[in-house]
Amino acid sequence: MSTEQITAKRVSTNNIGTNNISTKNISTKHISVKRYLPDNSTESYWQAYDLPVDDSTSLLDALNHIKEQLDSTLSYRWSCRMAICGSCGVMVNGIPKLGCKTFLRDYEGDIRIEPLAHFPVQRDLVVDMEIFLEHLAAVKPYLIDDNPVKAFDPQAPETYRQTPEQLERYKQFANCINCGLCYSACPQFGLNPEFLGPAAITLAHRYNLDSRDHGKKQRMAELNRHEGVWSCTFVGFCSKVCPKHVDPAAAVNQGKVEAAKHTLIALFKG
Amino acid sequence: MDKSSTQRLPPLKRTWWLKHGFFKLYMLREATVLPLLFFTFCLLAGMFALLQGAESWQGWIAFMGSPIVLVLNLLALAASLFHAATFFVLFPRVMPLRIAGHSLPDQVIVAGQWAGVVAVALLFFWLLGRA
Amino acid sequence: MQQRDFDIVIVGGGGAGLRAAIGAAEHAKEHKTPQRIALLSKVYPMRSHTVAAEGGAAAVTSPEDSHQAHFDDTVSGGDWLVEQGVADYFVHHAYQELVQMERWGCPWSRKDDGQVQVRRFGGMKTARTWFAADKTGFHMLHTLFQTSLKYPEIERFDEYFVLDLAVHEGAVIGVIAHQIATGELTLLRAKAVVLATGGAGRLFRFNTNAGIVTGDGMAMAYRHGVALRDMEFVQYHPTGLPGSGILITEACRGEGGILLNKDGYRYLQDYGLGPETPLGKPENKYMELGPRDKLSQAFWQEQQAGRTGKFGDSDVVYLDLRHLGEKTILERLPFICELAKAYINVDPVKEPIPIRPAVHYTMGGIETDPKCETSIAGLYAAGECASVGLHGANRLGSNSLTELLVFGRLAGEQASQRAAKTEWADERLLEAQGDRQQAKLLRLCDGTEGAENWVALKHAMVQAMEDGCGIYRTEEGMRHSLDTMRQLRERFNKVRVNDTSKIFNTELLECLELECGLDIAEASCLGALERRESRGAHQRLDEGMQKRDDVNYLKHSQVFYQGDAHAELRWQDVDVRFSAPAERAYGDAGKGSKA
Repeated sequence: MSTEQITAKRVSTNNIGTNNISTKNISTKHISVKRYLPDNSTESYWQAYDLPVDDSTSLLDALNHIKEQLDSTLSYRWSCRMAICGSCGVMVNGIPKLGCKTFLRDYEGDIRIEPLAHFPVQRDLVVDMEIFLEHLAAVKPYLIDDNPVKAFDPQAPETYRQTPEQLERYKQFANCINCGLCYSACPQFGLNPEFLGPAAITLAHRYNLDSRDHGKKQRMAELNRHEGVWSCTFVGFCSKVCPKHVDPAAAVNQGKVEAAKHTLIALFKG
Repeated sequence: MDKSSTQRLPPLKRTWWLKHGFFKLYMLREATVLPLLFFTFCLLAGMFALLQGAESWQGWIAFMGSPIVLVLNLLALAASLFHAATFFVLFPRVMPLRIAGHSLPDQVIVAGQWAGVVAVALLFFWLLGRA
Repeated sequence: MQQRDFDIVIVGGGGAGLRAAIGAAEHAKEHKTPQRIALLSKVYPMRSHTVAAEGGAAAVTSPEDSHQAHFDDTVSGGDWLVEQGVADYFVHHAYQELVQMERWGCPWSRKDDGQVQVRRFGGMKTARTWFAADKTGFHMLHTLFQTSLKYPEIERFDEYFVLDLAVHEGAVIGVIAHQIATGELTLLRAKAVVLATGGAGRLFRFNTNAGIVTGDGMAMAYRHGVALRDMEFVQYHPTGLPGSGILITEACRGEGGILLNKDGYRYLQDYGLGPETPLGKPENKYMELGPRDKLSQAFWQEQQAGRTGKFGDSDVVYLDLRHLGEKTILERLPFICELAKAYINVDPVKEPIPIRPAVHYTMGGIETDPKCETSIAGLYAAGECASVGLHGANRLGSNSLTELLVFGRLAGEQASQRAAKTEWADERLLEAQGDRQQAKLLRLCDGTEGAENWVALKHAMVQAMEDGCGIYRTEEGMRHSLDTMRQLRERFNKVRVNDTSKIFNTELLECLELECGLDIAEASCLGALERRESRGAHQRLDEGMQKRDDVNYLKHSQVFYQGDAHAELRWQDVDVRFSAPAERAYGDAGKGSKA
């Protein structure tokens, strides 16, 4: 495609910072947001907004527009705008999505925005992520290299060797941005928040598969219990909503195989 | 002030799975156990009838030939195939197979499992033919 | 108001903050002095902007490389405004930090034999940039965060917005923080404080930065009399997506990507970066591997000459990756593909990516000595919020991620060392400062009539900064920006929020961030106006100021807060002990030069 053809492209821009929406292809969208203002009331309610959008307007752009021009009391999390920080998860028409990577051009009619499911709501679209952080920490998500052959010496530092094939084995599972969408997708977590959940188990699995790690045994107790891998019934919706294609369902269920192997071996060892 | 004192968490509704097509399909997958259970009961009844003697056995044959039971068992066959289809697709994600340092593509593993089904079917028909 | 005591308080949970926390914990362990470390961040640590860094982290690695070469690249890249003692320390401690990251599990990309792979990067003579696909910052941040979970002595305060430092008789005694979830204040008493709060890119309308990069820590230190150094040096990253400014990593060019104007011409050869290198065979410091300031400046020139293309409302040039082939692009630059497709509907495998320069990094910041300490005893700073002197007038890509580790660790260790021999100050001193902050918040929420609208002020600020402190600057433009900042700062006193709630009030946070921005923007404009030369990222079109002037301006600018009065500027000599200022040359012109 020549540069002339590129310049002829019609996609218009939406400048963050000035909400200076381009004059191309502007339409109006109707957005309903689930509000919860604990300072005022114990009840939640729906609030509707109509706003101008163009081809490139993301849900995050829309929320920022609402905050700046229509209703400054709306609270929501956001940061990077490029789907790498994991801050802006919300429910869009009942599906967990990242606000910055949801484009309003793909939606017709009323667009319903709610806080991420299965987490306690603090206010408006802000949920309490504490349980998520707790589960993450519970699986010992760091390299455990117990008594390594070469201890790290700042004077003569040496890395481990890891081939591209070895890296490939766990790389996908290391791409989790901790956005929590998978927890909102998971009915088992919705039923029982004590379930470790997709992201935490995936992170444990990422380290278990890392050729430099020797911590599988130490993580096993946490994983090999009812609220570890065994709560999962492979609904698989977590993998469907994952914005980074990490495939947590695969990780959790591979975790089941490992846990089962561990139990069997323990049985034979007596 | 403790932040949890003002939080609200609506409990998961029993109808959670009606919310999305993906969940409905999942429940259908799980529900395939029911027609299969029916089929298993039919087989057990058959074994029992066999032990009871020729008359019971004839009774069981008639039972198996009745329209409702036929339909239910066809349903069980369909359920079984549906379950196989969903399981076969999930399997490569649960046990990724590697040969010579490269992972086998998912379609190969899925195809392999269906090949197994075909082999079993062929074996059945061969045995049936010899009987 | 809740009160907690800690040995060390670290403000900011990004790469530098986390490395400082771990460094302090390790230092305490080594010296058998148990210390409790608080890590406060206004966002969960994995949301920190380190996560968005893409390209890589530099350290001398291959046998053909040398500390001298990395030093020379950095010093000339910074147009000789680099503190050379600091650069020397940096290049000698870079490798061990990257190895430490690997030992902590960072998934660095590898060569076939299992050793870490390095790639070329702009302005660097030799390939020395370690990378983890094209998401290096993401992997580094998550590795650091996950590693920090090993240390029970590090207590995190997630989503706490630090409002102010508590300072008494020239020493820091703690911080006053606002718990975002409840709206309550917490006083943290400390023996040492490390600021690792990041840069201030959101001062500008068009930038690669996250919404949180608002210069809060810079403002806090500044208001207590610490100098903001070299604030006029703001880096325009040459390749941001039109519209959003989302970052397209320099690694694209490291892998061999080329930049074309609307005529399909590789225009960089006309700007002292030539001759044109063969397609797919990039050469260090030539063409697209020149330093960022020169590339952004070339864009501006092409724009003036009418040779840039258009994408929507933006003037753009084109980053062409097609010749790299689908396999290489998907393997080395998968994230870029995702970004281009999602945000501007372009597939880099099939078409060139329209891009334009966007504000990306703040070279200046809180002045520290070579050991990360500020002019306030016990107050340290590291990372983008600090000016330890490493980057001078222009930062080289991939030096910053390494900086987080080298100086994050150093700041943490220094803080730990100080905390071991310092006592806590009287609690009542903290309470007094806490009351002051409480009163300020109440004022913002008191619903006074005739209030100013913070949104209007914010838009005015970012527009004025873009207009006056862009890639090329004029006396008139900068003076106008400076005056505008001062007016806006005055008007801010009348700002009141509509949302007076306590629980998760983000309007309040936006106002506080805006206030921080307005304070430090004055420093940036003042430094720019008073530096009557062109050096690195600060380029002037004014007569007689278009070249570097080492006679008068081989100096750092220091801006000092004066409350409601105009800020004061002083000049500080630069440490040029190893390498005297020379011609900064790239391409063929740079052949044979030391750098």
